Amino acid sequence: MAVDYSALLYDPIYAELGVPATLTLADTDGAEVEITVYDQTRRKALSAGSAEVTSVEPSAFARIPELTGKGIAVRDCYGAVLTFNGRSWIVRNCKRQGSPNGEDFGEVLFLLKEMVSTDG
Amino acid sequence: MADVREDILARLLEVVATIPNIRTAVRNNVDINEDQLPAAIVFDGDEETNDASDVSMRPAHRPTVVQMTPEIVIAQQADEVGSDLTTLRRELIKRVLTDTELNEQIVKTGRHGNGAIRYLGCQTDVGWMRSLHGALRAQFMFKYTLRPEDL
Repeated sequence: MAVDYSALLYDPIYAELGVPATLTLADTDGAEVEITVYDQTRRKALSAGSAEVTSVEPSAFARIPELTGKGIAVRDCYGAVLTFNGRSWIVRNCKRQGSPNGEDFGEVLFLLKEMVSTDG
Repeated sequence: MADVREDILARLLEVVATIPNIRTAVRNNVDINEDQLPAAIVFDGDEETNDASDVSMRPAHRPTVVQMTPEIVIAQQADEVGSDLTTLRRELIKRVLTDTELNEQIVKTGRHGNGAIRYLGCQTDVGWMRSLHGALRAQFMFKYTLRPEDL
């Protein structure tokens, strides 16, 4: 494929929307990896009988080539701590989103959950 | 004027509001935000009688037995939402079935009359939002005497 979507699509998006983040993988003794993500948090509502409970589903996109370049596989990110925009989250799930150039050049959507305080 | 149905539902709201840690107790509010959780919502129940099969000459305004089945929803978001819902359910059932005002003054169960309060069961739903979300829907049956002349 002649079109390089990484250069033409993802580079401008991450240059404009991306923010610096640190990813701390589980079982790495707190080693932090610097990556770029952009916030994808969206409103979400779930039913509770006849009622609807409204909240948000925190999430953020990252680029798979950036992770790969730093020696991180998507499957290693489950349970990692992702810190960006002044908050820290736990990565509870990873959804791959392919690029026209192939999955390896696409993105991963980190689905996040709140960190639970352990100080009582 | 005495409207037992309204008395039951109003008292139910007061009872669920006493459940420990409940932040919001409302009636028929279908729009809840995460800031209000854990929440308890009392939904007015359907009513049924057996009068459809009553073809006697009984005057229309004579008392009849009604069964109302309100639903109470408990919603919560937490990492351990299952345990939270279990605890809230326990408090809900205990408080509704043992509430003196509901039993003795409104529904008039046991030696106070021929009313009854029964726990029918519950269903749960879970899903992800900011953290794990869970909702528990519990149904109760209230049997009481409807006296048209008192309405």
